[in-house]
Order: sequence, then C-alpha cells, then structure tokens
Amino acid sequence: MPSIKLQPHCSSPAKATTTASTPNNPLPTLLQTPSGLALLELQGTINIPSGNEEDDLDYSTSTDNPASTFETPIGKLMFPDYSVHNPDDTKWMKRAYMYVGRYQRMTGEVKKLPRPIAVLRKRQASEGEELEVVEIVRYKIFFKSRPEPVTNV
Amino acid sequence: MSTQDSRSILFTHTRPQEGFRLLELTPELEELLTSKDAPVLELKSPSTALAQAVIDPTAHDYVNLCTPTQTYRIRQVQSSNSLHILRPSRGEISQADIKVVEEAGESGALNLPDEAVTAISKCSSTLELHIPPGGFLAIPFLEKSLRLYDRRSDDDGDIAMGGSADPTAPLGSNEMRTARENMCQDIPVSTAQCEQGWMELCAFVDGAEEVACWRPSPRSRLAVWKRLVEGAVLQGIDLEKQFLVGDLWKSVLDDDEEMEPPFPRALLEAVVRRICIADERPPLSDDIKWASFDKVECTQWVGETYLAATAPTTSSAIGRSELLRAWKDCLPETWRGEVALSKLPVTRPFPPMSCGAIADFDYRTAATTVLTLRPSALLNPRNGSQPIKLPLRQPQPRRLRIPETGTNCSKAAVDCRTKTNALAA
Repeated sequence: MPSIKLQPHCSSPAKATTTASTPNNPLPTLLQTPSGLALLELQGTINIPSGNEEDDLDYSTSTDNPASTFETPIGKLMFPDYSVHNPDDTKWMKRAYMYVGRYQRMTGEVKKLPRPIAVLRKRQASEGEELEVVEIVRYKIFFKSRPEPVTNV
Repeated sequence: MSTQDSRSILFTHTRPQEGFRLLELTPELEELLTSKDAPVLELKSPSTALAQAVIDPTAHDYVNLCTPTQTYRIRQVQSSNSLHILRPSRGEISQADIKVVEEAGESGALNLPDEAVTAISKCSSTLELHIPPGGFLAIPFLEKSLRLYDRRSDDDGDIAMGGSADPTAPLGSNEMRTARENMCQDIPVSTAQCEQGWMELCAFVDGAEEVACWRPSPRSRLAVWKRLVEGAVLQGIDLEKQFLVGDLWKSVLDDDEEMEPPFPRALLEAVVRRICIADERPPLSDDIKWASFDKVECTQWVGETYLAATAPTTSSAIGRSELLRAWKDCLPETWRGEVALSKLPVTRPFPPMSCGAIADFDYRTAATTVLTLRPSALLNPRNGSQPIKLPLRQPQPRRLRIPETGTNCSKAAVDCRTKTNALAA
C-alpha cells in the first residue's frame, strides 16, 4: 500500500463547505472558523430515520448539488450568557442549551479541546486518492446530560 | 425568562451527510499545519510483503502519519459519544418542518431566528496520534527492502555486481534519488527518518546491470574501509583534514586502468557519508564532495563494523585480545591508540540494529475502544458515519420523540444514554 497524501489546505475553498452564498455564522465568535465548521458532541446520538432513498444516494457527488440536500429541523441552540458586545468574556461558555423539539432541553457547555482537531476529508476532483485538512477546530459544544422536559419555551 | 431574550439558533440535520475524519493534532503538528508553507503530509503503510517481513507486534494493519521529519502511529479511537460537524445553514428548511421546533406566535409569525446551523456529518471515532516508546525506525524496513551487497574486493566478480557494465558511466544523482525515493515510498516512516536509516546502513544505488538499491554487508563495509585507508596512506591523504572524495576514489583504484574498480563509487561515497563528521554531512540529495573524519567516531564505527562482520552472533563470538588486535589493524597507524573495548556500545545489538518489539501502552478508558485501522478505511468516508453498536447498558436509553410533521422529515429523535462510567473528560 503506497502512501496517501494529506494536503495541509483545502483544495477549493469556493467549492468547499463554505460557498459563495455562505450564510452568516450565527455561532459565538469563539466557535467560528474560517470554513464555518464547528464541532458538537453529544452523549448519545441524533436519530434521523433513514429513508429508503438514503441507500441510493451517492455521497461523493450529491453533496455538490445543494438541490439534492435537505435539512431536518431538530431544535435550537442557545448560549444564554453570550453577549456579542462582550466577546472576550468567556464565562458564557459554561452554559449552552440545546432544545430538542419544543419540549426537551439539554444543558451543556462550550469546551476548549485539549488538543485541536483537524477535520479531514477526501479531496474531491483529485487524481488518485488524497485527503485534505478542511479546518482545524479548537472548541466544541458539549452536551453530556440528557434532555429534561421544559414547558415554557 | 432570560433564555427567551438571548439569541437562539435553529439547529438542523442535513441529509445526505458528508464524510469527514477527525484527527487529533499534537502541538507540533498543529504548528506545522498552521504555518505559512505547511508541507504535504503522508499517510503511509508498509507494502504487504514488507508488513509480513517486519512484524509490528502491536498491530497487524496500521497507518502512520508522516511529516517530513516525524512519524506518528494513527489510532482510531471510537467513542460512544457522537461528534457532529456543524456549519451555518444555507436555509434549505421547509417552513412546515420548523413547526417541530417552534410554534407560531400570537401574530401568526414564527418566533424564530432566520439563522441556523446544520449538522452535516457525524463522526463516531477520532484518529489519535502517538509515538511508541521506541520511536519509529526505518532500518528494519530498509534491511528487508534493500538488496544485500556482499562482494569482497578480492573476489573476481563471481557475483554479477558492478561487473560488465561500463564503470565510467555511473548513474546521475537524479536517477539515484528517484530510485531511493521509490523505495522509501513503501517504508512507513518519514522521509527524514528513512534517509537517516539509509545513511546509517551505507545504502547506495547502483545501475551497473539494473538500477537497484543495495545495502553493503558489514564485511563489504569493512572491505571498503580497509581499501580506503590503504589508498589514503598511499596517496598521502589526511583523513582528519578535509579531502576531496574524488581524490579518495582515485586512491582506491588500481594503478592499472584496465582493472575494474573494487566496488562501485556510490558505495565508497555512502561509507564516507556515514563516517564523515556529522556537521559537514551534506543532505542525501546532494553529492558528497568534501569530507573529513573524526578519529574517535570513526574508530568506534570501525570497531562496530568489524564485530558485525566477524562476530554477528554469540555463536561466532570473538576473543577480546583478538578483537583489539584486528581492530587496530584496520586503522591508520596514528589512530591505533583510540582502540578500547569501552568505545563499543555493549548494550546495543551490533549495527545495523534490528528493531525489536515496540511496547505499546494503551490507556483508553472503558468507554472507548481502539480499533485496528485498515489503510483503506481512511479513504472511505462512509465508514465515518456508520452507526456505532454500543454494548447495552443499564438503564436503557431513553428515547425522546419529536412529533411527526412535514414532508422531508418524518421524525427525528434524540437518544440519550445515561452513563455511569462516562468518558473521563
């Protein structure tokens, strides 16, 4: 098995996850990265029922075409103590909420990763097989507790 | 309530998911990757034949991440937590679906921000890097990959090495470099470590019959050394002062121009490169033109090489006084005083050392498992998004459901498992 190259940079920033029509990144500044990617860790997993169409999808090509992707709402993220006016204060990191649907809420926090994590992906449109570093992420949103019922949203 | 005042962000799940891999970086790697001219890294695993020849007791299949100078073993660590990769949403959300999350306010308008993030990938494992206590050595792989050159200079060429071809047309340095680099492709350590091993073994490229990479046997290395000392003495070359390697080569050739050289010039250069003063050693990609030897280091190398050539195993051990005498005889007259048994590193198997078992300390907690990593798995993004099978734990997972609505999504649910032995944070 010969070697596989790992390119230090993303080959085509325009075609990558950030597109020309990049929407505003609503996350707190600390969590924003050049590519827009961020990490969320969950104790447990998000179950999205797999439709029959999933098996037919070709992952490598379909992601290029926004029309073939769709989003399923899960809930809301909130950083209740975060203020855009005071971004240097990091006390807000201690509290984060994730609402699942309307009536359940998880409490978590924003944590600095002990070691930064490189997000790798197979380089598209390259000859042979190559990987590339898309982003280096230094923080994660971490929910380690289970959801509690809420009624007052 | 305070939470109602703060900004909330819609959170969605995108289908299809994308394939990503998460690689935990060491501080050195982070620095390297964020530097202005970050180098291309390599993921290397040995060829099948090499993997069988050089067995790593800790892993059957493995992938090493190589920077230009450093090697790390990649370990796939699976966690029962799931890591989702988020990015800002492009807003392809059906308004009907949003009702799952937010009901219409009194005015009939949705009380929701238009900003959203979406989960585009789920990774149930991360790749971690570690360096085993013994580090990574290229030499065991090189020993298996390089052909053994074992022709004594007093042989009359029964081995078809450097034989019939025209010795005046040696390979260019580019061809040599290509041959070396091709071979190093299959050796799962960094280029710098590969070149270090190559240099220590006095490996060389020869193109007499076909272009091939060779490692001289200890006996051949010793023969080169003896011939080189003889030539230097005859031609009055002081090995401790800078000399032209070209002059040294001329000195080892026979006066009779018809005679073929005793060994390839590339071998002489490889030996000179190995024993020359380290600070003056040019990079492997450059020819070695000038060199000088340090008599202490050189004496040690000669002693080691002599032992490896004559007494490689305990069953062929050699007496101390015999060794000392023979060792002295290999050296220039003025260096004989340097010989002492204490100069030989006794604890180390004699050169080139073979890589023994490398201990692997695993300190993973119970909630994570280390998987055998197959090289192909790295390139298969779907592997990254496959569901993990968790051992059943008590209490059973509590499943929370979101009411069904909408067109695209029939339902979404979040599993949450209580864990008593949660990952040590």
